[in-house]
Amino acid sequence: MSKDTSGLVRALRLLIVTGMLSVGLSAGEVTYEQLLDPPPENWLTYGRTYDSQRHSPLDQVNKENVGQLAPAWIFPMPGARRLESVPIVVDGVMYVSQPNEVYALDARAGRRIWSWRREPARQRGNNRGVAVLGNLVYVSTPDAHLVALDARTGSMVWESKIASAEDGYSSPAAPFAIDGKIIAGTAGGDNGLNGWLDAFDATTGERLWRFHTIPHPGEPGNESWAGDSWKTGGGATWLSGSFDPELNLLYWGIGNPAPDFDGEPRRGDNLYTESVVAVDADNGKLRWHFQFTPHDLHDWDSVEIPILVDAPYEGKMRKLMVHADRNGFYYVLDRATGEFLHGTPFIDKLNWAAGLTEKGRPIRVPGVEPTLQGNFVCPSTSGATNWMSPAYNPATGMFYLAAKEGCGVSYKAKQEFRPGGFNYAATGYTESQEFPWQMFVRALNLTTGERKWEYKQVNSRAYGAGLVSTAGGLIFAGDDQGFFTALDAESGEPLWHFNTGTRISASPISYAVNGRQYLAVSSGVNVVAFALPPAAKD
Amino acid sequence: MDWRDSLVKSCVYVVLLLALSTSALGADNPFGSGPEVIAEGHALFNKLCTVCHGVDGVAGDRGPAMAASRRYLRRTDEELFHAIQDGIPGSQMPPMGISEDDAWKIVVWIRSERAKAIDVHVEGDRQQGSEVFWGKADCGRCHVVRGRGGLLGPDLTNLGARMSLKQIREALTVEKPHPPFGFRPVTVKTKDGRTISGVSKNEHNFSLQMIGDDDRLHLFARDEIDEITYADKSLMPTDYNERLSAAEYQNLMAFLSCLSLRGRDSE
Repeated sequence: MSKDTSGLVRALRLLIVTGMLSVGLSAGEVTYEQLLDPPPENWLTYGRTYDSQRHSPLDQVNKENVGQLAPAWIFPMPGARRLESVPIVVDGVMYVSQPNEVYALDARAGRRIWSWRREPARQRGNNRGVAVLGNLVYVSTPDAHLVALDARTGSMVWESKIASAEDGYSSPAAPFAIDGKIIAGTAGGDNGLNGWLDAFDATTGERLWRFHTIPHPGEPGNESWAGDSWKTGGGATWLSGSFDPELNLLYWGIGNPAPDFDGEPRRGDNLYTESVVAVDADNGKLRWHFQFTPHDLHDWDSVEIPILVDAPYEGKMRKLMVHADRNGFYYVLDRATGEFLHGTPFIDKLNWAAGLTEKGRPIRVPGVEPTLQGNFVCPSTSGATNWMSPAYNPATGMFYLAAKEGCGVSYKAKQEFRPGGFNYAATGYTESQEFPWQMFVRALNLTTGERKWEYKQVNSRAYGAGLVSTAGGLIFAGDDQGFFTALDAESGEPLWHFNTGTRISASPISYAVNGRQYLAVSSGVNVVAFALPPAAKD
Repeated sequence: MDWRDSLVKSCVYVVLLLALSTSALGADNPFGSGPEVIAEGHALFNKLCTVCHGVDGVAGDRGPAMAASRRYLRRTDEELFHAIQDGIPGSQMPPMGISEDDAWKIVVWIRSERAKAIDVHVEGDRQQGSEVFWGKADCGRCHVVRGRGGLLGPDLTNLGARMSLKQIREALTVEKPHPPFGFRPVTVKTKDGRTISGVSKNEHNFSLQMIGDDDRLHLFARDEIDEITYADKSLMPTDYNERLSAAEYQNLMAFLSCLSLRGRDSE
């Protein structure tokens, strides 16, 4: 049923859902308290916890025994091509998704319990995972709807429209569940479609608030767009974010301005594209913003997930937000106020900026703008990092990410906006022949960004595989060659690896069932889970 | 019909008479494939199509290259013309809404980019070129033709049907920044004291697969290797236009452009 139904139907829906809840806390029901502090064996949101640290407290798999890690099961998803889904695990049930489909698996056996398909599947697109709250599983669709499914059976309970697919919108990110609300975003910035964040009532699907990433006339920030260019400004919200429950702030990275490579029609800083925004979770109002790349010309979306850490900074405990941006700089901000504390490059080949001012604004190097013939820029448009998830390990105090060295050639041409989801990038980019792309896993000091170690992923040129950190002292990384590798979190030394056979383009997780720890990652058409052989874990 | 129609018609007849069309082009293209048409099509492409396909059609991040080495779904003039005018359903290629004349010119340019060496007439003596290939230029040291030759470089049996004349010429005379994947020169010193030089066919953090200059396959786990040295440049020399006389070079080009598993399109 669509959102546009009568109040009576909505009331009925509410009755049915609360009726389900009132049977008592059944296995698998997720409360907000659990989301705030997930049991170690569960993986309840895209980044495991609201701070997106992607650190699992499980330590059964550790540096001494990881060499014995072996595949536990493989689940092939019918019709999949290149899975990007991060699995969610609730009390032994794993929820994975691909565009227009959700599967519930027995996380111990790798066997399907139920599956749901969107019928009709009106549009193709990406999908990065689901959210869970109460007895519902939430997924957003390529045709920009948010769907709530019964976690036990996969039946659809409600669906709500986030955006209009006819206009060219889709919604690829995993939805984000907070107290009574589900946050969902949009994609389509490269088509000149303006983005937003929506909050929906977790029980009824009613939309509660909307935050526009491109301010409207009269709102602060609209003056950073020349003329009417704000109307086709982009600023998509195509990945998940983070949340501080004490400050009650959602932290979201915003995508690029449109047209991507031609800045002439949109002179100005183009807020809030390529910024992180801190949005009040109750009402969607903007508390503060920080822009990483004002008036960008290289399509450097800033959707990379911000990690929240409380740590000492210059002797004082502070609430920090760290973010490794596509533009090649690593930023440390105060997440209560948005104050810029520190920024430094995390790649070696960077030619577009000489550094950052003390306010964190890039000092542009002239002559690196896209041109008709193509201009050389490092990092390339695909960036020094991209949407794959970074991780933080509290024991080492290091921030870990998948980084890419290499340069590109960016081209520009005139283009008219065409409504309906047509490309409005005003051309594009290619990989540089002289400096082809090379992937690394890098460990940075949390507050200084100083590189502690790096692990070169030989023969890997394409991004997409993210990281997970575990209390066993390990960082697990995928790569585009299909390898799933365990690295010593202190030194970066590879301790174990497995060739999954297909390109890994998703971030891994760790969970446990009945006292046995698993690592799991989506690879190509499969979800693969690993564990220690039963005898070895003691 | 008014005077404009008859003027256009007569221009078309003139162009047809002047154009050097080959049998490779379809009958519906009214312009032939002369160099002026190719140049006009090139200019139109760079005005209208770079948004997705990149300047000169080398590939953008939204559309494929026009003349990459891959199998094409749309090969004939008509298929290309319809892809431009009607778009490709289910893909990001939209109907371009341009005039038919412009579309045909772009088609002509695309076809010229895709023409392989074997489709083009190359001056020179093939037999003498073969003697240069196996003799002075010593290509057989690293390349195989119909089962004869060395394994360090790619098999050239089908070269003329695989590459354009421009690509072959560049392979012989232009230094590339990096060796292509599968042909990177490498020297491995193993922990048990052997040294093997050759080219790396594939590798990762944990294994290396190579062909040695003994023309044999060697497979290694990384922990069997003491030291690996990579060369940045390919083993392929790129000064053949200087090493060979002008006649030798031309004859070699004639020989290479005819290497093919199939015949010419026009035969």
